[in-house]
Amino acid sequence: MKIKLNSTYAIYSWHWDVPEDELCGICRVAFDGTCPTCKYPGDQCPIVIGECHHAFHLHCIWKWLETDTSRGLCPMCRQPFHTDKSMAVNQGIDLTAAESGMVQNRGSAANGGENTSDSTVDLASEEEDTE
Amino acid sequence: MGSKTFQKSAVKRLYKELKSFESADGLALVQPNTDDLSVLYIDIKVLDNPKIYPVDETYRLVVNPSPTYPFDAPQIKFIKYDRYSDTSFKIPIHPHIYSNGHICLNILYDGWSPANTLHSIAISIQSMLSGNTLTIRPTDDGDYCSRAPSNPRLTRWVFDDDTV
Repeated sequence: MKIKLNSTYAIYSWHWDVPEDELCGICRVAFDGTCPTCKYPGDQCPIVIGECHHAFHLHCIWKWLETDTSRGLCPMCRQPFHTDKSMAVNQGIDLTAAESGMVQNRGSAANGGENTSDSTVDLASEEEDTE
Repeated sequence: MGSKTFQKSAVKRLYKELKSFESADGLALVQPNTDDLSVLYIDIKVLDNPKIYPVDETYRLVVNPSPTYPFDAPQIKFIKYDRYSDTSFKIPIHPHIYSNGHICLNILYDGWSPANTLHSIAISIQSMLSGNTLTIRPTDDGDYCSRAPSNPRLTRWVFDDDTV
């Protein structure tokens, strides 16, 4: 018997390589959903995983690391938050601006506002790169 | 002070918390004004320390989430009187709770993390009361209450007791 294939419809689904029932510890939304400010999940609203293995939406952890109260610490375990560079999901994501921004904020309170706005600009340009 | 000034992330998370707060084991989350997220109540009963806290006594925490919640700690304190329901409450006696309702607990101030929820805070405060054995106020109660700002987040707290 011969079968002639006239056309095919490719359907795919995706999900982040994290346990499915896990929520972002900051916004409490599933990782396959978006942070509260984004419309589309996935590349538009990526996740990051820290060296401490705690995962967050990039936009959520960024916003937290920018605050003075965060002191650069992971919200879950209060260890300094650094992305785990060995993980594929973190490729191309650079949180150092927010992380180092915190150090500068602590060093000189007078420049705190300036540093914060700098990191916001960095994030904006990074988003453009991924699009 | 309506919900209008709240950031989208704050509104989304607060509604989620209002919906999922497990009002059980002596804890309840109350929204006195529908659509207003700036004033919430957490009612606490202490079920396992009857020598100090009668089982049927309800203590009321007033919670004022900031427009940037959960990136900032909400303002939380015990209240003596609720004008919405015209009800009086007691401020639970505890060596870390001032008679004006302010609570000396680091997670409410510089130890805040956005991973905290209203429910996890309620449990922390409830367990603080459950484990208490002393019927005393903080040593500087009178002095503090006479000069304290209404918002406990404006106080410079020193956390010197790690045993509670």
